[in-house]
This record gives sequence, structure tokens and C-alpha cells, in this order.
Amino acid sequence: MDSFLSGAAQIFTLATLIYMLAGSVAGIIAAAIPGFTVTMAIVLTLPLTFTMEPLQGIAVMLSVYVGGYTGGLISAALLGIPGTPSSVATTFDAFPMARRGEPGRALSLGVWASFFGTVISTVVLIVAAPPLAMFAVKLGPWEYFSLIVFALTIVASLVGDSVIRGMLAGLIGLAISTVGTDPIMGRPRFDFGIEMLETGLPFLVVLIGIFAISQLTSEVEDSKSVRSGNALVTGAIDFQTWKVMKEVLLRPVNLIRSSIVGVLIGALPGAGGSIANLVAYDQAKRNSKDPDSFGKGNPDGVVASEAGNSATAGGGLIPLIGLGIPGSAVDAILMASLMVHGISVGPRLIMDHGDLVYGMFIAMAVASLMMLVVSVLSMRLFLRVAEVPKWLIVPVVMVCCVVGSFALNNRVTDLYLLGFIGVAGYALRALGYSLAPLVLGVILGPIAETNLRRALMTNDDPSLFFTRPISLIFLIAAVVSIAWAIRSHLKQRKTSGRSTDAPAS
Amino acid sequence: MSDAGYDKQQAREAGEIARLLSYVLILLASVGLFVSAAAIPTSRFEKLGAGAFPKIVFAGIALVAVIAIIDALRKIPAGAYGRFAGQTAAWAKRRYLVFVVLATLAVYLLAIPLLGFPIASFLFILVLELVLMPRKPATLLIAVIVAAVFSFGLNWLFAEVFTVFLPRGVL
Repeated sequence: MDSFLSGAAQIFTLATLIYMLAGSVAGIIAAAIPGFTVTMAIVLTLPLTFTMEPLQGIAVMLSVYVGGYTGGLISAALLGIPGTPSSVATTFDAFPMARRGEPGRALSLGVWASFFGTVISTVVLIVAAPPLAMFAVKLGPWEYFSLIVFALTIVASLVGDSVIRGMLAGLIGLAISTVGTDPIMGRPRFDFGIEMLETGLPFLVVLIGIFAISQLTSEVEDSKSVRSGNALVTGAIDFQTWKVMKEVLLRPVNLIRSSIVGVLIGALPGAGGSIANLVAYDQAKRNSKDPDSFGKGNPDGVVASEAGNSATAGGGLIPLIGLGIPGSAVDAILMASLMVHGISVGPRLIMDHGDLVYGMFIAMAVASLMMLVVSVLSMRLFLRVAEVPKWLIVPVVMVCCVVGSFALNNRVTDLYLLGFIGVAGYALRALGYSLAPLVLGVILGPIAETNLRRALMTNDDPSLFFTRPISLIFLIAAVVSIAWAIRSHLKQRKTSGRSTDAPAS
Repeated sequence: MSDAGYDKQQAREAGEIARLLSYVLILLASVGLFVSAAAIPTSRFEKLGAGAFPKIVFAGIALVAVIAIIDALRKIPAGAYGRFAGQTAAWAKRRYLVFVVLATLAVYLLAIPLLGFPIASFLFILVLELVLMPRKPATLLIAVIVAAVFSFGLNWLFAEVFTVFLPRGVL
């Protein structure tokens, strides 16, 4: 209770609330711009939070996160272009609805669904994370190592269109994490005599290069679309805020089902909003009495997609707080920001830094409320944001990336690294490697190595990994997840031929 | 099969070859790094030394890469290799803006320590905007304003508000 109050006291200060408000607005704006993803927004927020208190910084990033899941809705509903990958399913019904002359209703539906989705996921998070942490502190290094192996295999098998390239990306991430001093004895490795590499590759620079630079570069692949503008839906927009709130609440089954789907998918390592919205939409369609109306402007479709993607925000925090294992790339960034402040993330987090964890819960709730107020009051303004053309976004955001990478260490050499990683990241993306496993590999690498070596220091016998029951369960689960993924890929290939649509990349 | 469909098929084959090349590169790199990891001395206080975990990781990479290579070789028809160069050139031509952007970024990163952050950024944003934008006089004005705000403005903001001093340059 003490730590709850202490967390609340830290959140409810004027400065924190103002920063959080700015974060929500920034998140909504960023996600409303096509080509600017939530992940990019959070990566770029991170350097700005270094000077803040740990909880304050995390609260701001959570606001960006929650705001970002809503912002994607704006361009999805009005332009039919998902602003972020997590609002793909929103375009299915919100866009036809807007076309039919109800753009305001489509937007309000999405905003309310996002709000309730976030609230429901926060409740689940508060209930689920502490018991998970209680369980996790009992795990020894054997179990932890096996858990990380499982987490990485499930990421590799869930994300992207190729299990093999997913696994390679995850392993490359682990390899990147081994550069620099080793985590137990402090012996330098793989620095190739370059001074900068002695302390390891700076995680933030790797993140910005991998996610932001490569994403921005891939935005200009199609030279025709870069040079054209898109017209927005014109005419008066009536938001009907309160009527729509009732409309959303009158669909409790869909709302709760979609939110639970979002929470569960968010809690799985690697899978986030970009999968949850599609699964939630699919479930809503299957369970609907009138499945044919989906895709033609059915409000249930909008609610399912938006509640589903917003709920992953809370779901992803469950493994992060309970186990110290990030559920998605965004959670990995949140974890990195805590580590920058010298707070080690793991199951003991909730005991050692209870105020921080409760503060995060409160920040989630406050952020979703802010997102709601901001969107309802100023949706009209955000409509304009979706019009910002790519030729402005790409150079400006690249400069922001450069500033962000420089501000961490004030080293010019980091900028060269950024350029190098940006090019490598684009090459991997163009070749069809998914980048999320790579980032999780980078962050999980040191944890895996520390636990593996600690396990063998405690007891020489490597067979303990297979004889300790919980460890064995995780390892079996890892094998099963790979086998299952390979099987479903083979099946897919048989039925639909080859499904890769990436041309000559 | 229509012409477009045929082209797509060829493009996909070229993509598979490009991936095959990336697997081979990754395999070579992982084998090389495995050998260099083996040279890391172990401590007598623990069973696994500093080199053990990297060795496991690189062995894993090599194993997966070998599987990937076998898989890719099976998928690629024999005739595809001959067409690879042509397809790659066509792909690069379609995506020429990507190369323009990356090259500009590289020049920009090298120019920062020389010109200083504000001037280098101003030029970078302006050049990239000019390359990417639809060429109309009205947009030119916006382009210049945006370039100024995000170079000199950002420099001021970081110096005054966050007390982070971006590179000043030697000129």
C-alpha cells in the first residue's frame, strides 16, 4: 500500500502529468502519420527521458505507447491507410463507414474501443503480474535460461513469414549482444581493437538504426507514391461522442473478447498489436450473427480491431514486470529505459521497486484517460496530421534519429554506427528477415548468458536443464513452438503455393 | 501466364537467390567469429568461459544457416541464376530512391563533425526534400522553413532546454 501511494504521488505531480500529456499528443500525432510507427515514436522518446526520474520517464513512454495505438486509427479510418501495422484491421470497417458519410462515428467508435481496451488490459495486468513475479522469483538460473530459449523460439515462430529467417534474426541479436565485455568476468570480446566496441554496442543506437532508419528508408521504395498527396475526407464531421460511448458499451461481449485476445497476444513474447488486431477482428467476425456485413462498415469490426490492439499495451507489460522478459519490441525499449536508470528488470522488480511498478499501473490508467480526452477534444486537428506528406517526414525524422543516437553518449562514433546499422537493418528488412526477434535477442542475450553460466557455476552438471521439471517444460515448449511453426508453414505452402509477396528483395 | 505474372515469378526467384547469398554470408561470418571466440581464454573459476556463450550462439547461427541454404537451393530453379544479375539491376532501378536516401544519410553523418550539426542538418533535410518532393514553388517555401526549424531550431532546443550540445563542427 505504501508503494502504491508513493507511486501515485510520483505520477500525480504537475510536471509528470504535463510530460505525459505531451507524450499522449506526440504518440497520437506520430501514429497518425502513415509510415511513422508506434515503435519509432517510443524509440525517439527514449533519449528525451534520460534526464527525468525513472518513473517519470516510463510514464511518458507509456503515454506515447497508449496514444500511439489510437493515433493509427485516424489515417486508417479516413484514408484507408493504416498509420501503423497495428491498425490494419481497423481499415476493414472504419474506412467503409467513413466513406458512407459517418467518419465521426468511425473515429469515436475507435477511440472509445481503444480506451476500454486499455483499461481492461490494465486491470488484467494488475491482477496477473504480481502472482507471476512471486512464481518467477522461485525460478533458478536453469529455469530462466530455458524460459529465454522458449521466448526467443516463440518470437521467431510467430513473427514474419519465415521461421528460419526469424530464428536467424533472433540469433544475430544474441550475437550482437555478445560484443563488449562479458557480463560475468568482464573480459572484453569481439572489440576488434576498436575502442568504441569495448563497452558493447549501445542498445539505443542499435534500436534506432534497426527500427527507425530502416523503416524510413523502406517508406521511399515506391517513388510514385512519395511524390503524390492523398486527399482527406472532407465535409463536416460529427463525432457524437456520448452516443457512441453507449454504442460501444452495448457490445460488451465483443469488447471484452477482443480485449482479452489483445492481452493474451500481447503477453506472448514477440507478438504485439500488429497481430492482435487481426485476430480480434477475425474472432469478432466468426462470432457475429451477421458476418457478411463485416468489411462494409460494421461497428463491431472497428471495436474489435481497436480494443484488440490497445489491449496489447497492458498484456505486453505482464511478462516484463512478472518475469523481466519483454513481450514486444516496445516493451524491450521500456526495459532499456529502466536499465539506463540503473534499475535491473526482473521478477524482483515488484519487490525492490514496488512504487515504480504501481506507478506504471497508475500511469497506464492515466495515459488511457488522457488519450481519450485529447482525442475527443482535438480529433479535428489530428485529421490534418495524417496529411503530412512523406517527403517532409523522412528527412525530418532521420535528423531526429541522429539527435537521439548522439544524445545518449555524446559520441560522434555512435553516428557512424547508426549509419552502418541502418543500412544493415534495411538490407535485412528487404531480404524478408523480421527485425523484432533481433531486437529481443539483443536485450535477452546478456540475461541468457548470465543465467547459463551461473547455472553451471552453481552445479557442473548440464543435465540439470533437463531434469528440473519447470526448465524441462520450457525447453519442450520451445521445441514444440518451432515444430508447430514449421508444420503450419509447410501446410500453408501446400495449399496456397508460395505466400511470400516480397518481390526480388 | 501473363507477362506481369511471369516477371513476378522471376523477381521472386531473384529474391530467393539474394536470400541464399545472405545465408552464405551469415554462415561465413558465424564460422569466422566462432573461431575467434574459441581463442578467448577460459577462467579457471568457471566451467564455461567468456567465449562459451558466443560459441553456442555462433554454432546455432551456422546450423540454422546451413539448413536455410539447403532449403533455398532446393527451391531455386536452375535457370534463375542466369537471370539474377538482370533482376537485381531492375530491382535496384525500381528502388533508386532508397539508395539516394541512404547515400545522402551517409554523407550527412560524415559531414556532421565537419560542418557542425545545424548546418549539416539544414543541408541534409533540404537536399532530401528536394529529391523527394513534388516540385512546386509553394512546397519549396515549406521545405526551407521545415529544414531550418529542424536543424537550427533543434540545435537551440537541445542546447537550451536539455543542455545537450550537438556537434559544433570545425569550420
